Amino acid sequence: MNILVLCTDAFGGHGGIALFNRDLTEALAQMPERGEIVVLPRVIRNAVGGVPEGVTFVEAAARGQFAYARELTRVKRRTRFDLVICSHMNLLPLARIAADDPLLITYGIEAWRPRRRSSNALLHHCRGIVAISEITRSRLVSWSKYAGPTFILPNAVRPDQYGIRPKRRDLVERYKLEGKRVVMTLGRIDWSERYKGFDEILEILAKLPEDVVYLIAGGGSDMQRIQRKAIACGVGDRVRFTGIFADEEKADLYNLADIYAMPSRGEGFGFVILEAMASGVPVIVSKHDGGREAVLNGKLGTLVDPSNPAEIRTAIADALELGERKIPEGLDYFGIDRFNDRVHAIVRSFVQ
Amino acid sequence: MCGIAALFAYAADAPPVNREEIERINARMVPRGPDDGGVWVRDDERLALAARRLAIIDLSAEGSQPLRGVEGDATIVFNGEIYNHRELRARLEKRGARFHSKSDTEVVLQMYRHYGADCVGLLRGMYGFAIWDERERRLFVARDPYGIKPLYFADDGKTFRCASTVKALLAGGAISPARDPAGAAGFLMLGSVPEPFTIVKDIRAVEAGTCFFVDGTGRHDASCHYSIAGIFRHAREQQTIANLTTPEILLREFVTESIDQHLVSDVPVGVFLSAGIDSTTVAALAAARSAEPLRTITILFDAFRDREFNETRDAALVAESLGTKHTTRVVSREEFLADLPRIFDAMDQPTIDGVNTWFVSKAAAEQGLKVALSGIGGDELFGSYPAFKRVPKIRRLARIPLVTKFLRHPKARAIPRLGGTDAGAYFLTRGLFLPEEIDAGAFDVVEHIQKVFDVDPGTDFGRVATLEASLYMRNQLLRDTDWASMAHSVEVRTPLIGGWLLRQLAPLLLSQGERCKQFFALSPERPLPSVVKDRRKTGFQTPLREWLDLPSDGTSTRMRSWARRVLEEFA
Repeated sequence: MNILVLCTDAFGGHGGIALFNRDLTEALAQMPERGEIVVLPRVIRNAVGGVPEGVTFVEAAARGQFAYARELTRVKRRTRFDLVICSHMNLLPLARIAADDPLLITYGIEAWRPRRRSSNALLHHCRGIVAISEITRSRLVSWSKYAGPTFILPNAVRPDQYGIRPKRRDLVERYKLEGKRVVMTLGRIDWSERYKGFDEILEILAKLPEDVVYLIAGGGSDMQRIQRKAIACGVGDRVRFTGIFADEEKADLYNLADIYAMPSRGEGFGFVILEAMASGVPVIVSKHDGGREAVLNGKLGTLVDPSNPAEIRTAIADALELGERKIPEGLDYFGIDRFNDRVHAIVRSFVQ
Repeated sequence: MCGIAALFAYAADAPPVNREEIERINARMVPRGPDDGGVWVRDDERLALAARRLAIIDLSAEGSQPLRGVEGDATIVFNGEIYNHRELRARLEKRGARFHSKSDTEVVLQMYRHYGADCVGLLRGMYGFAIWDERERRLFVARDPYGIKPLYFADDGKTFRCASTVKALLAGGAISPARDPAGAAGFLMLGSVPEPFTIVKDIRAVEAGTCFFVDGTGRHDASCHYSIAGIFRHAREQQTIANLTTPEILLREFVTESIDQHLVSDVPVGVFLSAGIDSTTVAALAAARSAEPLRTITILFDAFRDREFNETRDAALVAESLGTKHTTRVVSREEFLADLPRIFDAMDQPTIDGVNTWFVSKAAAEQGLKVALSGIGGDELFGSYPAFKRVPKIRRLARIPLVTKFLRHPKARAIPRLGGTDAGAYFLTRGLFLPEEIDAGAFDVVEHIQKVFDVDPGTDFGRVATLEASLYMRNQLLRDTDWASMAHSVEVRTPLIGGWLLRQLAPLLLSQGERCKQFFALSPERPLPSVVKDRRKTGFQTPLREWLDLPSDGTSTRMRSWARRVLEEFA
């Protein structure tokens, strides 16, 4: 069984989509019946490493749009693929070079409304659509009227990479967290992504006990506005910004938190929520986006209406009072083995 | 849905509360709660609570009121429905709360025990309630964000009294029925008595979206737990959210969630169906969610039989396409005249509307329904009333007085004087009589209207939506719906009205404005019949002019004459 994966980024990439694509590739590589697996990344940001055995990762494809099309044409000439996986809607026009009926993977807001006309029209040629969450699947099907088979494939988390650890002294000192209780949100602070819930936490922070500080982990183009807003809300001295941080610090950053809160509205799933839970941090997430599915509808964490400040505030206060650091039972639903099983089942439903 | 009452002799020198008084109050509210009733007087006779119950959730006796918590330190009387009560119960159970019933009333009580006054911010629904807190020896009183459920109080400086209706409080016999000139003037100018005034001088409304304590020192200032103007102001900063998905998907998701919650009931639920977009879409979304075939009801006033106001043919087509069990109820002049004394008796405060709801509720009761969904609130939510265009236009016109100088209509001539502000322009759009046409006394209608803006909503749409929701909808539509439906022991639920729904939709409303109504019509999975989308908006009118031979009054509907007639009934 030969499989071609067209993706935005994977190995040498950064962020949730890159991680998903790496997990996907590894899952495909573990299929006993696999033949050749070729992965074409659109971009590579960092040094490439960890490519599974038996997978051809075509780095030359990441040199631009023309290079991508060229490499795609080459691999298509060389190999007959049984399945072409297009792991982003924006790549659908390019995917047509390789197959008339690719299997599409969608993540979040890119699929929540019509975008490029060319991609929208090509949706209906897909042999199937894999969505990272039910909310993404239902919204995509709703506006596109796509009638083919659909699948849910949530992110996977590897608990061994996180876990409950002591707070790192240097980080406590760096962010002035001594004697403080920490509410944390991790995410890109981008002006185009004002749906992560940073604003909502800032608006209620003044009403939380004075020893509670808000740790915002991440950086981006909207950071100055958030900083100004914190001052306007009278909590400028209770907000800590990490800025862009090194990946290797991430697990320790989660362990600084007493509560992970993300009252967002635009998360396709919210991989960071899985990471926080895998670090044993009680999570408070949105009822109104993919975060709901990351906590299995409230089984693994607390759900709040992001538009209701009283709900966010009391949920945080409750969690500070009653919450305890533990990895929730049921997190194995998102374990890597389950992820692999799901990938294998999806692929086998198309290719025997 | 119920009727509730509380008496609290808070001052040391106040006479003890009178059991007979609260029993008289409770007896006046029997139609609001025919299934059960109860009175509790505290041993020291400083406090009495009473309730009549219309059993809809947890039909067992465990849900009876006044309801005391398992711990015995708090007692509640509650009118309304809490749609997220199951979710809140689970949350409370994690905190160790115990329950002896499945009712939403007990959830509210435990929410108060655990969160104090903050509990109101977590309730999703319609309500007016009073909780006696034995630990702090104080009464906690609260009302829902939109004022869907009524709650009135009187405070003579020694004893605090509250009840679900003005007439019930008066029936107690301890409050003077003297008319409030401001309430009467407000009624004549706006068509309904503007809150917090009532038609009775010594009775005031607990303002929507507020709560307060009454303790040994008296009644504390009310605190606001919901601001419609504030929601719109905040939504200006949330335009990214408005565009995350398509308007019709957003509307379908949130309105469907609202409908799901409004369908929660242990008794069958019907829908008031006209051929308009709001009720039709609500019926379409509800029919797709309801486990049993939905029952729908349409009213035909026989005076409208051959006129454009006749919605019955189109409504029947809609019902057929949705597969509902449909009833068309014809109302004649004779029936109206026979019911008129009962209508005036049930009318809690003067209003120029409500007769239509009286008859549709009567029809629902005849069908054995205790609960019905209504599409009211859609015009206020989606900006489809003329006021959304007229108010900004009048405000602009007021800046050029020469234009209006040559107009003949009294309201048009008042534009330079009153139309320069949103409040004044709104009054000219919605008003019945001008201040100079009646004895307005010290009541300044424009100043009163202006008070709905606790903050500036920041956009024309937000301002008019705030005005419509806080004035016409609260004082007229919702109040009339309450008395006219309760008279028939029918609970009308309004899935398009609610603090939660506005919070979710406000960014979209500001982004799309009046186009939201079209998107709303597109939101059901199965398209609505074309008769609905093509139909001209007619409103839910009553042929009062035809039935009562009302004298000419300068309006096409003779509403001014009707208002005078109604006010006479409250003399």
